[in-house]
Amino acid sequence: MKKIISSLLLLVASSSVMAELNIFACEPEWASLSQELGGDKVTVFSATTGLQDPHYIQARPSLIAKARRADLLVCTGAELESGWLPLLQRKAGNAAIQTGAAGHFMATDHVNLLEIPSSLDRSQGDVHAAGNPHIQTSPLAILQVAKALTLRMQALDANNADFYQQHWQGFSQRWQAAIERWQQQALPLKGSTAVVQHASWPYLFDWLNIVQVAVLERKSGVQPTVDDLNNVLKQLHVTPVKVVIHAAYQSPRATNWLVDKTSINKVTLPFTVGGNEQSNDLFSLFDNTIQHLLDANK
Amino acid sequence: MKPLKLTLLIAAVLAPVSPIFADDLGDLKAEISKMRADYEQRIQQLEQRIAEIEVKQNYVRAEIATVKSAPTSSKNNNSFNPAISMVLNGQFSDYSEPADGYELSAFSLQGEGGLAREGFSLGESEITLSASVDQLLFAQSTIALHDHEGSTEVEIEEAFIETLGLGNGLTVRAGRFYSPIGYLNEKHIHAWNFADAPLIYRGLFGNQLGTDGVKLSYLLPTDLYAEIGGTVGNGDRHPGSGEHSGIGDWLVYAKTGGDIGTNHSWQAGVSHWQASPEKRAYSGGHDHGGADGGAVEFSGDTDISNISLIYKWAPNGNYRQRSFTLLGEYFYSKEDGTLDLHDEIHGDESAFYDGKQYGGFIEGIYQFNPQWRTGLRYDRLGSKLRASDDELLTDAGLDFSGYHPQRYSLMMEWLPSEFSRVRAQINHDKSSQNDDTQLFLQYTVSIGAHAAHSF
Repeated sequence: MKKIISSLLLLVASSSVMAELNIFACEPEWASLSQELGGDKVTVFSATTGLQDPHYIQARPSLIAKARRADLLVCTGAELESGWLPLLQRKAGNAAIQTGAAGHFMATDHVNLLEIPSSLDRSQGDVHAAGNPHIQTSPLAILQVAKALTLRMQALDANNADFYQQHWQGFSQRWQAAIERWQQQALPLKGSTAVVQHASWPYLFDWLNIVQVAVLERKSGVQPTVDDLNNVLKQLHVTPVKVVIHAAYQSPRATNWLVDKTSINKVTLPFTVGGNEQSNDLFSLFDNTIQHLLDANK
Repeated sequence: MKPLKLTLLIAAVLAPVSPIFADDLGDLKAEISKMRADYEQRIQQLEQRIAEIEVKQNYVRAEIATVKSAPTSSKNNNSFNPAISMVLNGQFSDYSEPADGYELSAFSLQGEGGLAREGFSLGESEITLSASVDQLLFAQSTIALHDHEGSTEVEIEEAFIETLGLGNGLTVRAGRFYSPIGYLNEKHIHAWNFADAPLIYRGLFGNQLGTDGVKLSYLLPTDLYAEIGGTVGNGDRHPGSGEHSGIGDWLVYAKTGGDIGTNHSWQAGVSHWQASPEKRAYSGGHDHGGADGGAVEFSGDTDISNISLIYKWAPNGNYRQRSFTLLGEYFYSKEDGTLDLHDEIHGDESAFYDGKQYGGFIEGIYQFNPQWRTGLRYDRLGSKLRASDDELLTDAGLDFSGYHPQRYSLMMEWLPSEFSRVRAQINHDKSSQNDDTQLFLQYTVSIGAHAAHSF
């Protein structure tokens, strides 16, 4: 028994020696960004996979155990995780990750959000009071978050401040070059139109100047009724649209319905890192997203 | 001599600019101007390229500039107001046997342990308020309103403060809270999977075990979730009883759990609760104790142990899309003490009592799409009650024949959103010798702050 305890303690001690910062990322995009910026100075855990709906996660025992040992939470915020993150914070017994602490980093705090509702009422579906939280679909927002996250990492781990600075500079150069490349690639998409299943894409569309004609979920987060879908269909008779987009984690039922009724092209976008096999990191996420959109708009 | 030498030297030095070499100089000038033109052209080209790059960079920068530069604070529910939510429900119940005659063989029904009234009823309306108190504490209170024999009763179900950032995995809670015994006990009834409590919860706790006291929990710093903890309380909540100046009840528990891949997760727990009830009155079968003569009272020690196991399956961890939950719990209660009957007509009676009550339930819930769930539950109880005078057991309304109460339940739920639910449930209930078929139609809605998705 003593042996087990001492080896357990050793395990705990050694894991904390290996990396300076233990990061608990709520979504894979922030896990990927944390890894880009933190290199081997950080250990990163992603609470969700690219195929999970981040709205509906349960505060599972495994997540509580991870939150207990985290030095830094990197999450989206804007109520995306309001169903489970507060519970993890309460159950973790960890001062570092409480709201307001330096180890509590919400990405949407550092970005101007779109689609801030003018009125709040649950009859409108799952509305987020702070605005649309799906900022990771724009590389510009990611750059802004990266800058703020670097400052936060430096504050938490001052000994490696120079290291994080270097990584930030390296990342921002590569990222800006990539943004330029993506913008060049996506030029044919400028002004193109799309129907979306859920309001997941305002930041992507804003960046690439894609026009959203209709949302299948008339009320956010609520499965559309046949009436809702028929209304979209009528709209498409007036304004023909080439593509309908849904995220890989979403059930494509509504999208499939529309594809059956029209000649519209279905596009399944990865939405985040791990959303499909090709999207292994933030760079390939956007490579893949733009490729899918270009293919569907041909 | 000296001045001459100096003049010659000066002449030699100045030679290149002297008019003697004027033709050569003109060539040189032309060459230089040509070179200059060359360089200017190149510089111009370079400048143009730099300008192009700058334009591109500005394009990126301009778009980034639309993004917020300074962080704003996290937006909480209603700024400084606590998060407020209210759960409303109503139900229609129908039984094949009269609800008043309901008995749970070998168990004494206490508190809200009976059946809901037949026909339409409102159930409990719960108001929950919660907020961070300051940098150290969190507070939550749940106040329930329900009808009892024609009047509305207000009950404080939970009211506790809890440390937020004690660190090292430690959390202290104080106040009134549901005891960490079993899996369902810590959840509010509206979060349960069926319209009524498992029989063992009904029989032992009058639906749910709570305490007024302090809870300490410690989360181990391991990858595998492991939590140990305990509570101490005043011991006056059923099945405790009486006023205790010190610690009236205590409990220890251990929980562990984890994931197997992304599709499976599980949790297991054991707990043990102990109290020393003083003069805990039995409901006395049909006549709610004390109507004629007196009620039988128990004084002694009560020990209850629990083991619970929960397993969840959800493809890719999206439990809302499709999931299966399997939950099983088992309780074993052992009581040792005396039964006393105060009867003014026949005189006082007393007997030694040794009672074992046990049982559990197993339930499986299948959510086949975001809006529909169905579930099946099976309850089974047993008992072994011994007293030095059987008459007192009879007077207490305890059936000591060793009959095994059982119940089968089937439910179907429609979930229009995360905040509402309509449920239909049918039970085949053999709580006592009289078989009963029970039907429930129930709605439950939650308004206000977003409810937590606990495991």
